[in-house]
Amino acid sequence: MPAAPILQVANIDKAFPNVRALSDVSLEVFGGEVVAFMGENGAGKSTLLKILSGDYHADSGTVTLDGEPVRFHGPKDARTAGVRVIYQEPEIIPHITVAENVFVGELPKRRGFVDFRELRRRTNKALQDYGFEGFVDADALGSSLSPAQRHIVEILRALKPGLKVLALDEPTSSLTDDEAALLFKLVGQLREQGIGIIYVSHRLHEIMQIADRIAVLRDGKLVGVRQAADTTETDIVAMMVGRNLTDLFTRDHAIRDQIVLRVANLSSRWHHDISFDIQAGEVLGLAGLIGAGRTELAKVLFGEYARDGGSVSINDKALVTHHPSDAIAAGIGLAPEDRRGEGLVLVRSVLENTVLAILSRLSRFGIVSPSVMTATGAPLIGKLEVKTPSLDQEVGKLSGGNQQKVVLARWLAARPAVLILDEPTRGIDVGAKAEIYRLIDELASGGIAILLISSEMPELLGLADRILVMRGGTIAGELSRQEASEEAILRLAMAHDAEPEMAVQ
Amino acid sequence: MDSSSVDPGRRAAERAPGALKRMTNAVGAENLSLIIALAILVALIASQTDAFFQTRNLLNIGQNISVVGLVAIGVTIVIVSAGLDISVGSIAGVASVVSALIITQFDTEIGSVAGGIAAGAALGLVNAAVITFLRVNPVIATLATFSAFRGLAFLIAPGGRSIGVLDQEFTWLGVGRLFTGEEFPGVPVPLVILVGVAIIAHFVLRYSVFGRSVYAMGGNPTAARLAGINLTRMKFMMYSASGALAGLAGVIVTARTSSGQPASGTQGLELEAITAVFLGGAILAGGKGTIAGTMLAVLLIGTLSNGMNLMGIATFYQLVAKGLLLIIAVAIGQWRMVRAERMQARAIASTGDKA
Repeated sequence: MPAAPILQVANIDKAFPNVRALSDVSLEVFGGEVVAFMGENGAGKSTLLKILSGDYHADSGTVTLDGEPVRFHGPKDARTAGVRVIYQEPEIIPHITVAENVFVGELPKRRGFVDFRELRRRTNKALQDYGFEGFVDADALGSSLSPAQRHIVEILRALKPGLKVLALDEPTSSLTDDEAALLFKLVGQLREQGIGIIYVSHRLHEIMQIADRIAVLRDGKLVGVRQAADTTETDIVAMMVGRNLTDLFTRDHAIRDQIVLRVANLSSRWHHDISFDIQAGEVLGLAGLIGAGRTELAKVLFGEYARDGGSVSINDKALVTHHPSDAIAAGIGLAPEDRRGEGLVLVRSVLENTVLAILSRLSRFGIVSPSVMTATGAPLIGKLEVKTPSLDQEVGKLSGGNQQKVVLARWLAARPAVLILDEPTRGIDVGAKAEIYRLIDELASGGIAILLISSEMPELLGLADRILVMRGGTIAGELSRQEASEEAILRLAMAHDAEPEMAVQ
Repeated sequence: MDSSSVDPGRRAAERAPGALKRMTNAVGAENLSLIIALAILVALIASQTDAFFQTRNLLNIGQNISVVGLVAIGVTIVIVSAGLDISVGSIAGVASVVSALIITQFDTEIGSVAGGIAAGAALGLVNAAVITFLRVNPVIATLATFSAFRGLAFLIAPGGRSIGVLDQEFTWLGVGRLFTGEEFPGVPVPLVILVGVAIIAHFVLRYSVFGRSVYAMGGNPTAARLAGINLTRMKFMMYSASGALAGLAGVIVTARTSSGQPASGTQGLELEAITAVFLGGAILAGGKGTIAGTMLAVLLIGTLSNGMNLMGIATFYQLVAKGLLLIIAVAIGQWRMVRAERMQARAIASTGDKA
């Protein structure tokens, strides 16, 4: 390892309107090493990558490349300087060949026309150099590539003279084990060439295998950096979790002895063999990593996606869903994760959004009188303390916390038996979070069975009576309130990678 | 008239209601600018020619906007839902021929009117089927049926020619006058039909479950579906409504020209109607637009044509003027939206956006 770091970030701060994404983060990457970034969802890994790629500007702090301070005004600046970030979903242009994808923007030319022979020669040479000549065909179309091939092509595209730092964001999330092995081989080759590599992943096992050093982020702060050789997976998990937000939570609800939602052996495109139930007045937490199938499960239960097998019943009545309206009629409510994209009609008013799910119920002969709409909506907007200048205000003009309250008001109005809340506090500031938590507790106190999907551990631990952990489209385990801890959840969520090692210790 | 399209200006208005602000509240900011534009236009025309304010001329404007007005009502519903219906002119052509065939073959006025409307609704269902089941984008789907339905109109007209209609009771629908007095030439029947249909459509769009659902699906189809609105059923209802209204317009064309016309009288209706809908404050992205706005825009365009005719300005200039009017109107709308957003951003920045 050379003495001077190839990349150095110092005292980086970055805030978004509702959240402080990074505060005072400093770390360095040396040429010829792999540094892993670890942290829970929302810990600040992506924000840091986006600052390195020039997509975001840091509010303060410096980035130094090869001893020179740099300031990227956009991704292009970062690329020119020799920093490339490759995201989870590589940007492959579908209708052109692999060769054109690799050399896009710098195609070899002869007399003003593209020199396809030279293009193919260069691509094949690059494929050969890294040992992928049998794995990727230079003439294949971008649209025909597998996720692993797409990653290889994207990395080859990045491997131009002058590349100093390469960052990979969750590169193996959609790869099989064999494909991941190929990718690791490539990463190893690049390390030997002296390139500084940043590797972001949730897979602990993989990190321990590939990384030289591990940097752990939590709540936008750098918790610590460890030599991979001197640390254990347990240590890393302990660094990732361990904070206390319990003051935010109210818990007055009591579980009633009556099962409201019963799911048995549910299967779908994403799921297999999912069984659980929720009692009246119970908050059931649903934990898992991104891609575990939690949001999809919510949508299968809600009738938005098809259920292939198994049964769902509400208050012992079998539920058949062809359309979300069937689920609503049966007494299910869903506050979707993507509040703005799927929850609200942003260009319409607070009042219209509040009564949207119960228009038919409020109508007589197909007509909804404005006074009935107001009489139904206004008390709820008042009860939830939605801060809006009037009921006629466009929902899109409210803050995130108030938008979420409008979504909750909609389901309060519908009086469901089961309410599914998918990441109810995403992008909401701490003050509003506490209010949402209080509301969730109140809803449960009213006897509603609540399925709470969340990636925020303290939220699950603070609100849920039981926690189901999903992994790979099925239930990996269930934790009672007593058993539940951030470590226990993470262990189940990542069990595939972490378990053997844990057992040894 | 849309209570939810409130800009920050309206909030201020609620605090300190002056006469002008109260009026803005009553008709809505967008419609107020249409009314102002109309007033300016009328003043301009009246300063150039005395003929404009003659009762006969004003009623003429009413007569002339009836057909496009009916079509524009249906198109408003579709555009508010973030769809588009380009085929309405062709549908009106088919309906015109169908109504003429029924009246000449079976001699039933009611049957003829009902047949024309039903034919329009049926073709609207075809549009909806193509859009929903075949998943064709509404623009492309109705562009295709725009051509296909026009062909159909010629195919069902014997020899592809117009069909003469002599039945006086039927043609009354197009040329008749109501409330005729000694001095007063009477209100054209088509105008009465337009006003009646517009009032009904206004209430349906504002106060019915169907109407509220149109706004919701136009604003955000996913959110609407997740709130239990069946988008497929909605599309069938909307496109058949749009088709039925175009069918009614076609019937009136038959009555007015005393002939079932496969093309003449209905060609280009779709573009005039769509122009009026956007001029009336609807946006292509959907979720916004009102019947009142569309009707004001239809009146504005009708007045513009009439005034230019009275002043002897050649048709070619009129076409250019209509185009300019639409661009100016939409550009002003965009400018207001950007300004509102900027004010919003500034408000958030100053308060720190506490939820």
